[in-house]
Amino acid sequence: MTALSTPLVPRTRRSPRNGRKWIFTIAVGLVALLVNVPLLNALLVSFKPTGEIAKNPLSLPTAPTFDHYANVLYASGYNFPQFFLNSTLIALGTVALVLLIAVPSTYAIIRLGFGGRWIINSASGLRLLPAIFFVVPFFVLFSAAGLQDTILGLIVANTFLNLPLAIILLASGLRDIPNEIEEAAAMDGASVYRTLLGIVLPMLAPTMVAVSVLVFIFTWNDYLFALVLSTSNSTPVTLGAANFVTSTGIRWGDISAASFLSTLPPLAFAVFAQRYLVSGLSAGAVKG
Amino acid sequence: MALTAGQRKKTAASVLLSLPLMAFALAFIVYPLLAGGLTAFQASTIFDQSGSFNGIQNFIALFRSDGFAKSAGFTVGFSAIVVTIEMVLGFGLALLLNRTFPGKKLFFTMILLPIMVAPALLGIMFRLLLNGDIGAVPALLHGMGLSVSLFSPSSVVPLLVVLDVLQWTPFTFLIIYAGLQSFPGELLEASAMDGAGPFRSLVHVIMPVLKPVLFAAFFLRTIDALRTFDVIYVLTAGGPGTSTTTLSIYIYKAAFESGDFGKAAAAALVVLVCLIPFVPFIVKRIASTGIEAQR
Amino acid sequence: MRGKRFWAIGATLLTATLLAGCSTSAGGTEGSGTGTVKMVSWPGPEGDAMAKVVAAYNAGQGKKDKVKVDVVLLSRQDTFTKETALMASKSSNMDIYWTASYNVGQYAPSLDPLDGIDTSSYFPVAVDGLKYKSKLYALPLDVSNHFLLYRTDLIEALIKDPVASAEYEKISQSVLGEARAPKDPQSWDLEDFKAMAAYFSKSDNPKSPTEYGTILQAKNLLYNTMIWNDVLWGYGGNWAKDGKANLDSSAAKKAVSLYADIYKNKWTSPDSSQAEFPETQAALQAGSAAFAIQWSAAFASLNDPAQSPQVAGKIGIAPVPGGKTHVHALAVSLNKYSKNKAASKRWLSYLATEGAMSKYAEAGGIPAMPKVLEAKASLNPAFTKVSETIAKNGYAEPVFPKTFEAYSKLAEDLSGAWVGQTPVDDALKTANTDLQELLG
Repeated sequence: MTALSTPLVPRTRRSPRNGRKWIFTIAVGLVALLVNVPLLNALLVSFKPTGEIAKNPLSLPTAPTFDHYANVLYASGYNFPQFFLNSTLIALGTVALVLLIAVPSTYAIIRLGFGGRWIINSASGLRLLPAIFFVVPFFVLFSAAGLQDTILGLIVANTFLNLPLAIILLASGLRDIPNEIEEAAAMDGASVYRTLLGIVLPMLAPTMVAVSVLVFIFTWNDYLFALVLSTSNSTPVTLGAANFVTSTGIRWGDISAASFLSTLPPLAFAVFAQRYLVSGLSAGAVKG
Repeated sequence: MALTAGQRKKTAASVLLSLPLMAFALAFIVYPLLAGGLTAFQASTIFDQSGSFNGIQNFIALFRSDGFAKSAGFTVGFSAIVVTIEMVLGFGLALLLNRTFPGKKLFFTMILLPIMVAPALLGIMFRLLLNGDIGAVPALLHGMGLSVSLFSPSSVVPLLVVLDVLQWTPFTFLIIYAGLQSFPGELLEASAMDGAGPFRSLVHVIMPVLKPVLFAAFFLRTIDALRTFDVIYVLTAGGPGTSTTTLSIYIYKAAFESGDFGKAAAAALVVLVCLIPFVPFIVKRIASTGIEAQR
Repeated sequence: MRGKRFWAIGATLLTATLLAGCSTSAGGTEGSGTGTVKMVSWPGPEGDAMAKVVAAYNAGQGKKDKVKVDVVLLSRQDTFTKETALMASKSSNMDIYWTASYNVGQYAPSLDPLDGIDTSSYFPVAVDGLKYKSKLYALPLDVSNHFLLYRTDLIEALIKDPVASAEYEKISQSVLGEARAPKDPQSWDLEDFKAMAAYFSKSDNPKSPTEYGTILQAKNLLYNTMIWNDVLWGYGGNWAKDGKANLDSSAAKKAVSLYADIYKNKWTSPDSSQAEFPETQAALQAGSAAFAIQWSAAFASLNDPAQSPQVAGKIGIAPVPGGKTHVHALAVSLNKYSKNKAASKRWLSYLATEGAMSKYAEAGGIPAMPKVLEAKASLNPAFTKVSETIAKNGYAEPVFPKTFEAYSKLAEDLSGAWVGQTPVDDALKTANTDLQELLG
């Protein structure tokens, strides 16, 4: 443990000779391809005309088509642009609400001793319960509160799902910010709020970004809560894509296109935040 | 007990700062939790919506057939296997990427991609990819002269393990890799100077320092593995028989196929009660230092 | 201590919330008789056809009624999940639910009986299947049943070719213990089905044009119980006899054994342990199976050159071997907690007319009205077959409140035995006990 609390010197990386470097490129490249086989297959299928999908699974499309993308975006009668907008609003709203709730309270718990370990324990315990446990109570609650089938309702539900993750990660991020700076600030007469805003938040920023990325991804991918809590106004893209599972089979081309498209927004968000994703999750890095 | 002005201010601040969490908890956590807990002791089926209390009837129903115990056994075994593999592979992958090489940025992002596919949709993608007639993987195996049937009763569990590992190794990788970035380089150099080989450095230097990170990855992955639902449900619906029924599938079926919400809530409650003792133990290892400093 | 006091206040507040939550409304209201009616539907030919009928109503009759119908599509796998959640919370969110013969008993406590709607133009078996405690709880929409879908080219070639016929006789001798001549699928029994499955499988007949004879739908899924039931009834079995579970019968044993034999001998793909509708379509489309017991709705897309270029035009349709087919009707029901029942009933009355069902047939549905099917026979060659087979081969599983759960339970109990993973007798014993419990 002591090793982590000693200040770090910037990491020096020895650069291996060029030949050896490429071995790593190839090895990691293969892993990167392997884990993405389902997605790459979906990409391939999404350009094949329906009749070709059953013919030769491995061949490239002989007559590539954009029909499936057209179906997803406008031609199928489903309002996918709306679904994408809903998903985006829900995911961004959840990120904002999670941070708004988790950051100050985690600070209060870790630094000011509020509630002690009890709150972190119960927050973690909450994530252990199967989501189904909450589905019907949520439904009843939301119907009474007018949150049923609203974007706000799904933001609340996903905040509920992701708060434990955020609190755990923020707690371990906060743990690694040296207390001395805050103590010095307090000596200088700065209030708790000023210390939090002016000193802690900037240092915690990478962790917050990392939490945002994970919360965004998990919210974007939620299915069960969206199924029960949305009907038409707040349908997210995961649920919309499932409409291609029809009573006479699965429209493979369409659902492949929809699945591929639906990974793009979280991907964009992750790439955008990549710089902080790693440094934010690597607790000690903020000290460097 | 007299509080100093500073302490009092601190107390006021901690209450104010926790207010959002407490308000949210009151409005959206406590009620569902209690309502769900209450349901476990009620007759709440789609036939009898009176909500009258029936004591521990739901729990009796739960344990009278072996379905619940079997699914619990499968879930624990499945989670133990996949999390172990994902931890080892994630760690290995993190060590592999812990250096510079051409194309690193691109591949790093690509490795994270599987986390970004909704599990519900990924299940359907797997169903296409692995289909014996129109799927690419069986076609490839066939082309190589192998006749493997991926979904036969004897291969379906290993298949599900592989699929889970493919999707979630990136997650353990990400957490561990991030942890490695803050690893003090001079420690390794020092141990190398002492003449320790790479394996010894790994076991005696890297792992002890990374312990909190490893615990965090392990814990986050375990709790999600215990809730595995989408991919298995889409691919096997828990079968053949009940051989791949996870707890989440069991509870889902109790609620939505049998329409017995009381029994489903009872099952979830039993799961929670069995798992809760482990929580403080793990949390202590992930986030203890900060709290410890207050004592 | 701070924390403790806080939670004490919290608990008080919570009690208040809980009490407020308990006062949910009991029962819906008639409403004004006008306005928007929200209806659940699922994607696929039924939903597509329904969308067109709704559009026609909203543009015509609906204007007169001052009723507008809004369709909410839920994916096929989720429709009943969502509805169960809505019903469990006594929601008034939806006015009209999407139901079916196999779950109307389970849903009846959350539905209003439909009195005063003229149902004389429907198939009587469809209407009867939607009755629970002798009250009608749903209007039939689409009928679904099973057919044997087979490759006409392959069967014809077999029957015409004396060498192949001789080979078939040899295989049937070893499979059934009696030599049989190849027959037209229109008159197959279940033994022909078995021998043919062997003949068209590379495992028994290396010269077979297809890899596997058939594809069984053996995934642990309630819809697959319906297909297996055809075999059970085909052997003269039934779920229950005189109100008692009857899965310990010799017919039940034969029915499970037929599946297990076909699976263990590789006359169906080993992957069929996880097969359902889409996998069966894929196997037929890819030409890897020669025939399968499949849902009526599958026929159209298999014969469509755009969707199934390899087999379109070569797919024949015959009654299920053994001569028995499960029949169910998809249907629409009125939510007991709807706040707009009067308007909903206006729309439902319109839906029960031959005019509306003709539109439904034109838009691709298979309406449960014999007269409409006859009049529209030119639209879909399956229409006449559906009429015929429902009248001649249709049977109905017993209807009791927990029918829906029974389908799921039997799939769970038997799917292991279908693929030879659990012994036939053990599986049937468990299934019989479970069924008895559900029968009450």
